[in-house]
Amino acid sequence: MILAIESSCDETAAALVDDGGRLLSSVVASQADLHARYGGVVPEVASRRHLELCVPVVERALEDAGVGFDRVDAVAVTEGPGLIGALLVGLATAKALAFARRLPLIPVGHLHGHVASLYLEPEPVAPPFLVLLASGGHTLLAEVDDHGPGMRVVGQTLDDAAGEAFDQGARLLGLGYPGGAALERLARDGDDHAHEFAVAMAGREGLDLSFSGLKTALRTAVLAAGGDDAGRADLAASYQRALVRSLVSRTMRALEVTGRDTLAVVGGVAANGVLRAALEQECARAGVRLALAPLALCSDNAAMIASAARFCAALPYPEYLARDAYATA
Amino acid sequence: MLLLSLDTATDTATACLWRDGDVLAESATAGRSTAAQHLLDDVDHLMRTAAVEPSQLDAIVVGTGPGTFTGLRIGLASARALGFALSVPVHGVGTLDALLCGDSVDVACIDARRGEVFCKGAGIDLCAIAPAHLAELIAPGTSLAGDGAVRYRELLEPAAVIAPDASPLHTPWARHHASLSKLWAAPEPLYVRAPDADRSPPARAAS
Ligand SMILES: Nc1ncnc2c1ncn2[C@@H]1O[C@H](COP(=O)(O)OP(=O)(O)OP(=O)(O)O)[C@@H](O)[C@H]1O
Ligand SMILES: [Mg+2]
Repeated sequence: MILAIESSCDETAAALVDDGGRLLSSVVASQADLHARYGGVVPEVASRRHLELCVPVVERALEDAGVGFDRVDAVAVTEGPGLIGALLVGLATAKALAFARRLPLIPVGHLHGHVASLYLEPEPVAPPFLVLLASGGHTLLAEVDDHGPGMRVVGQTLDDAAGEAFDQGARLLGLGYPGGAALERLARDGDDHAHEFAVAMAGREGLDLSFSGLKTALRTAVLAAGGDDAGRADLAASYQRALVRSLVSRTMRALEVTGRDTLAVVGGVAANGVLRAALEQECARAGVRLALAPLALCSDNAAMIASAARFCAALPYPEYLARDAYATA
Repeated sequence: MLLLSLDTATDTATACLWRDGDVLAESATAGRSTAAQHLLDDVDHLMRTAAVEPSQLDAIVVGTGPGTFTGLRIGLASARALGFALSVPVHGVGTLDALLCGDSVDVACIDARRGEVFCKGAGIDLCAIAPAHLAELIAPGTSLAGDGAVRYRELLEPAAVIAPDASPLHTPWARHHASLSKLWAAPEPLYVRAPDADRSPPARAAS
C-alpha cells in the first residue's frame, strides 16, 4: 500500500492506493479561497498553509481508508515541478514519515502524476497513447509508451497554459480565482458564436500552442462590450469555444502526425465539459479511442501521485534522506 | 526519556539526541538553504552513532524560529511527521530562546534578511528590527549572540559584546531545545513577518 502526498501548488493532498491500483482514499484540501483575494496563488501563503495541513490531511486519508500508518509500505511524494517552498513542505513530511519506519520513498514528477490519473482501477487505461495534458501551469501533447515517468513531448504552449488562459479569462470577466470552472458555468448561458475570437495558431505549422493572443482579444472585447450579464455570458462562451477549438485542432493534428490510435486527456482543464464533448466528437469521427481522466482526478490530487508511484523507482532507506525538490523540470 | 530535538530555522541546522539530561549525540550543519534539506541525514547519523532506533524516541522537540521561512517549515514539517508516525508528542521551542541559553548571552539575534535581525532578550520582546536601531536600544556591554549578531557585528559592536564568529554561542544548539522543557509549547512557526504577497489584492473583492 502506497501513501502519497501532493503539495506542488495550492492543494494539500494525501491518498492511499493499494498494490492493485485501487484507490482506498483521497483527501484534497484546496486553498483556493485563501488565494482568491490575491487573484492568484501567493507562494508564501501557500507554503504556510501546506505546513498546517500536511499531517492532518495524511491522518484523514488513513482514517478514510480505515488503516493505520503501520500498514503503509511506501511513501510517495511530488518532488516537482511546482512552487519550491510548497514542494519542500510535502517532501519534508514524506521523508520524515518514511524515515520513522525505514520505509522506501518514491519521488514522483507532478506531470507523470497527471498522466497516471488514468492508471487507477476500476477502469485503468494503459499506454501507449498520445496525451493532452492541460493544467494550470502546463499544456502539452506527448507520446507515452509505458506506465513509467518518461514521455516524448511533441507540442506545447509557447506562452500561457490552457488553465492559465481560463483563469485569466475568468478574471477579465470578474469571476475571481481560480476561474476555469466558473467560466464554464457562465458560458452555459451564452452564445458561443457571439464573438469570433481567432483560433490561436490556426494555419501555423507544427504542434505547438499559444493562448496569449486570445486573452488580449478578450480584454479588448470586454472593454468594448460593457458589463451586462448576457454580454458576459456571450464573451465567456465565445472565449471558451476559441480555447477549446485550438486545443482540439492541435490535438487532432498531433494524432495524425504521430499515428497514435488512443488519446488520453488529463489535467485540470480536462474537467471542462465543452472540451470533453468536442474531443468525443472528433475522436469518434477519426476512429480514435478516447480516455478522459475521471473528473475527480483532473485537478491536483494525491491519488494520481500514488498511482504514478506504482511505476516509479522506490528509493530504499537511507538513500532519500537528503533528497531535494525542483521547481522546473 | 529519549528526545530528538532539531532546529532548521537558521542557516545552521542542528539536531540532538538527548536522554534524561545527557547529550547522546549532536550535530550542526552549516550551509545557506541546504542545511535544512540535509536534516534527516544528520538525524540518521546521530541515531547510528548513539545506536538508537526512531521507534525508541519518546518525544520530538523542534525550533519554532524565527528564521528563514522555508528552513523553519522543513524542521516543523519533519518534526510533526515524525511525531505522527511514531505516535509521540512534538514540542516547540523558540530558536531565540535556544540561543539565549548560551553562556551569559543577553540578547539573541538571528539574521532576518532585508537589513533586519530577529531578536529577543534583555527586556526586548521578540521582533524584527534594524541592527542600528537595536544598537540604540541596548545598554553598553550587552552580550549578543546568533548569526544576526555576526552579520551585523560592525553596526552592533560599539554598543554590544559579540563573541568571535566561530564561537559556538552563535549556533542554536538543539541540546538547548531539549533542556528547556519549561518552555515547551505547541510546535507552531514564529514567522514574525506577514507573507509577501507579490500580487496585492485587487481593489475590488473577488466575487
Ligand atoms: N471546468 C474547467 N474548465 C476549464 N478549466 C478548468 C476547469 N476546472 C479547472 N480548470 C483549470 O484547471 C487548472 C488547475 O488544474 P491543475 O490543478 O491540474 O493545475 P496546476 O496543478 O495548478 O498546474 P500544473 O499541474 O501544471 O502544475 C486551473 O487553471 C483551472 O482554472
Ligand atoms: Mg497540477
